[in-house]
Amino acid sequence: MSGEVTGGGFTTVDKYYQDYGSRARELKKQGKQIIGYLCAFTPAELITAAGMVPFRIKGDVNEPITKADTEMETIVCPLVRSCFDMALKGNYEFLDGIVIPHACDSICRTYDVWKYSLNLPYAHFINMPHGTGGASLEFYQEVLNTFRASLAKFTGKEISDGALAEAIKFHNQNRARVKELYELRKSSPPLISGEELTKVLIAAVSLPVEESIEMLGEVIDEVKERGALSAQKPARIMVIGAQVDDVAFIKLIEDSGAWVVADDLCPGAREFMSQVDVTPDPIAGLAERYLRKIKCGRTYREMEGNYQEYLEDRFGHMGRMIDDFGVDGVVLYIYKYCDPFGFEVPQIKSYIEAKGTPVLYLEDEYSMSTIGRLRTRIQAFLEMIGK
Amino acid sequence: MTEEKKPEERKKRRTATEAASKIGPMVKASIGGTVQAREEGKPIAYTFICCCYDEIIQAMDIVPVWTENYAGVCGAKRDAQRFLERAESENFSRSLCTYALCGLGFDAWREELGEMPPEAPWGGQARPDMMLGSGQMLCDPRNKWYQAAQHYMPDVPIYDVGLPWPPYEDDYDYREVQDYYVKYIVEELKGLVQFLEKHTGRKMDWERLSQLVDLTDKTWNLIWEAYELRRAVPTPMGTGDAMNTMVPMVFMMGTQEGYDYYKDLYDELKRKIANKEGVIPDEKYRLIWGGGLPSWFALTDFNYFNSKGAVFPVETTYRMIEAIYNFDMDLSKITDPLEHIAWRWVKFWTYWHDRARKRPGSHPDVERLIKYIEDYKIDGIVMHEAFSCRSWHVGLIWQLNLLKKVYRNIPSLILESDIVDISSYNEVDTRARIDAFIDTLEAVKSKKG
Repeated sequence: MSGEVTGGGFTTVDKYYQDYGSRARELKKQGKQIIGYLCAFTPAELITAAGMVPFRIKGDVNEPITKADTEMETIVCPLVRSCFDMALKGNYEFLDGIVIPHACDSICRTYDVWKYSLNLPYAHFINMPHGTGGASLEFYQEVLNTFRASLAKFTGKEISDGALAEAIKFHNQNRARVKELYELRKSSPPLISGEELTKVLIAAVSLPVEESIEMLGEVIDEVKERGALSAQKPARIMVIGAQVDDVAFIKLIEDSGAWVVADDLCPGAREFMSQVDVTPDPIAGLAERYLRKIKCGRTYREMEGNYQEYLEDRFGHMGRMIDDFGVDGVVLYIYKYCDPFGFEVPQIKSYIEAKGTPVLYLEDEYSMSTIGRLRTRIQAFLEMIGK
Repeated sequence: MTEEKKPEERKKRRTATEAASKIGPMVKASIGGTVQAREEGKPIAYTFICCCYDEIIQAMDIVPVWTENYAGVCGAKRDAQRFLERAESENFSRSLCTYALCGLGFDAWREELGEMPPEAPWGGQARPDMMLGSGQMLCDPRNKWYQAAQHYMPDVPIYDVGLPWPPYEDDYDYREVQDYYVKYIVEELKGLVQFLEKHTGRKMDWERLSQLVDLTDKTWNLIWEAYELRRAVPTPMGTGDAMNTMVPMVFMMGTQEGYDYYKDLYDELKRKIANKEGVIPDEKYRLIWGGGLPSWFALTDFNYFNSKGAVFPVETTYRMIEAIYNFDMDLSKITDPLEHIAWRWVKFWTYWHDRARKRPGSHPDVERLIKYIEDYKIDGIVMHEAFSCRSWHVGLIWQLNLLKKVYRNIPSLILESDIVDISSYNEVDTRARIDAFIDTLEAVKSKKG
């Protein structure tokens, strides 16, 4: 591990989870350039290939949103507001730039607020299309080339195909490690708890990819070595939602007598399960992954076949995960003001319930005070599923 | 209960122009027409306003159902709550777009009954044969709403048109990327035509489409010229009326009826200016409606502003046109109608970029405000933050902050409510805030002497 922390994977995870951004701060002092980004739809590979460190901006459920409200409307998703609040309060003072993808309205429509308020040396908006058809893919490749040229202009150095291919290789390796970690959740009881895994992934997205790979490797070794978790928790739960960047909600479920063994979250399965194919033009592989392979409500997947087949195309990965990870119940955890996921709730809920798995739909506001209020509903749900 | 005491009774808004007063019956007829078209078996498409493919729909004689509009009508008639509640009972969050929630609640109810919900406003919203969404930087519900509606109408196909535009960036000019934006939009529009041909069995009449595209250009120019007349003191038309006169701009592009409507409006405004006939006789404060959709159930607030001596000669909301001849390219030379539409779209959304480039630290949205403030002799800005819509209502605070930084401090007011959900609105509080704002305007005016 090239970072400062020694003592094993989980020790590293704890440090970087508790003191989020500390490694980026160290690297900044060493002369590295740090580029903050929002959302899993930022192709971090390009930032790595440009010789800079991609750093995922996160919020903090424990910190009341105060400063952000003077510059950003309260009708924005509370996660994005919290991220912005953290930035305004100086938690990410080490950033050299910010990259914001066309993810959802709350992210897209606040790009200028971020850009002009933080006034960092670098800012870029990745205008990702919604559709996934051939024209959309071709357009998106152009958009990524514009991003590539913009990064090169900022650093003063072209991003070669070789450098990009190398970055893709590292990021694929990183995702493969996460996938390996997920495999360790399949046993009963799982080898790693949901709380632990969430911490690992959050720490990982704050690190340069090479360091993340190393940390994940150490965590995998430690988990395998220690064996299955000893606590008896009969229910196995999957959580579906947008970005969950704190353990509080996952811990709440696990403290209520269940293991969280699967998810469709960011950072989580949605973000880490698909790889970039090696293609002659590396941009083609990147575009394919980010536009077509990541299945998220923000992307509009064109309907082919009948409606049932369409639901399979959009939500089939959730169904497969329920089967593969032996899930007993699903918690659909949606933030207020979240347009991409909010509109999908009835469809996801009925799709999963039709497969015989019960679903608890919870709307939340991304704060410790509201998360605590969900305890009773989670307990009632676990009782209802009889586990 | 007497008529006067009904708490929810909608007060009719007083309009300044005859053109604005024609809109209510026009919209009613349009909605009624879609219900009748359904009975007659004509192809019907759910669609969104300001989506740039109006002429394609018109050229193929497809009957558009403007779903945002129907929700707005329900809101204006103060009869949206039951549809919003229905959507909520279906597990849609009340924090989502209330146009969409009203529409989804309506659709869920209509599909369950197999007929229109009881006493549906203006006869109800006709069941579509297809739904035309769009993917763009503006609004997630434009691709999520219809996808969600398929939960109730799984047999109704969707075509989602990708309609991006170049963002304003510091390190490159939009002209460096505009070609690939146009190329993409053209491909998406071709896909739309193919989709419509497949689902209607009709063939696109390309010559007719070209004529309608030209007609839209002419109409845009005419609207721009008519709206510019509102610079006059006293102004002959305010934003309250513009919330009506926007209807043909977004429903009737590519129709002679739309063009004729604005010809009448232009003539009427000219007459009023000649007669020095303003919205109010004695203008004290000239305001800009600088952002946000209106509360459709509370348009009488514009009359309240008028009663305090305030008028709105200009607004950014629903001014979804520019004069085509002011673009930096001659659109008339683009003969392919789909390319023409695509270039118009890109040029519209990048229109203010060059002005922003000239003022360090500025932004196109703010430059537009500055231009209007100067051209229309504006004393203050009013915006509206509708809680359920992130599309038009995020970035308002930032715009005001930036305006102050790059231009000057100007009195401003952000009202808070919603577009459709009346439970978010408090008339007493709203008017108290308007009163306080008027006091501020007066204080500033007195200071200036």
